[in-house]
Amino acid sequence: MMPGTWLLKVAPLVFNERFIDIVVRPTIADLQSEVAAAGSNRAKRVRARCRGYAAFWMLMLVAPFASWSEHPPNVASGLAAGSVVVTLLTVVALGPWTAIVAAGATLVALLLHAWYEHHPSEIAVPPVAWRPPQINFSSTDIAGNIGGLIFVVGSVLIVSLALPSIFWFLLAGGFAACFVAWGLAAWHTRARRADWTCAGRPRRVLL
Amino acid sequence: MLPTKERLILEFLVSEGPMFGLQLVERSGGALKRGTVYVTLGRMESKGLVESEQETSDPGAIGLPRRIYRPTALGERMLRAWATFTREVAWEVKP
Repeated sequence: MMPGTWLLKVAPLVFNERFIDIVVRPTIADLQSEVAAAGSNRAKRVRARCRGYAAFWMLMLVAPFASWSEHPPNVASGLAAGSVVVTLLTVVALGPWTAIVAAGATLVALLLHAWYEHHPSEIAVPPVAWRPPQINFSSTDIAGNIGGLIFVVGSVLIVSLALPSIFWFLLAGGFAACFVAWGLAAWHTRARRADWTCAGRPRRVLL
Repeated sequence: MLPTKERLILEFLVSEGPMFGLQLVERSGGALKRGTVYVTLGRMESKGLVESEQETSDPGAIGLPRRIYRPTALGERMLRAWATFTREVAWEVKP
């Protein structure tokens, strides 16, 4: 399958015919000719593909602002334009970290979801039926396994991306928390031997 | 008024002859981007500054044919007029 084939199929959903003829087709033709010119060199082919696809997605951003287009944009194009404007306003107002944090949060959520789909674990239900709504990581129940580790590391990463000035504080806090946890685990192990369960919860294992 | 990118494209096309969009991007050394060069070229074509046609592809060639651009007589006149104008303005504002 030639590179750019599916882009040509997607293009009519977003662009009008004139824009496809004058702008989209030449862009995809450049992608294909560059990939063909790369020959059997895998690195060059990958580089050519990346450049070509990046050019196409750049077109998605600039197309709504191409004032010379004679035909009115279709619904998808309007939607794309609206999304671009909202994204630009968000990034301008809140800084590019917003986009990075959102991408990081999405990645962590997907990782967590994938992990628990494959390794469902029991989480203790809190005894109180009603709890006041709050955002408090310390009261969030997580399992002591890889999923929990992803949650903790992801949370720290997201906060440090959003507030880079407190990165060293978070790092030092992480080390301190590990040290306290190690001390508590050692104390509990000595006091209750190896078969203790944390407040009646299922035994948690890291792996 | 001739925007900078349009002037750059016209200069390349007048001095070096017909070119593909990707060649313009490579020759510009970063001034033109491959994601937007065809939008600029399309705007210039609608203004009548450049004209284009699809390359004649070989029978065994694979992929879409590229589009080759050349300046129109209006485009060349526009470039000359703009060069004269900027020269005159520069002479006028020179202390």
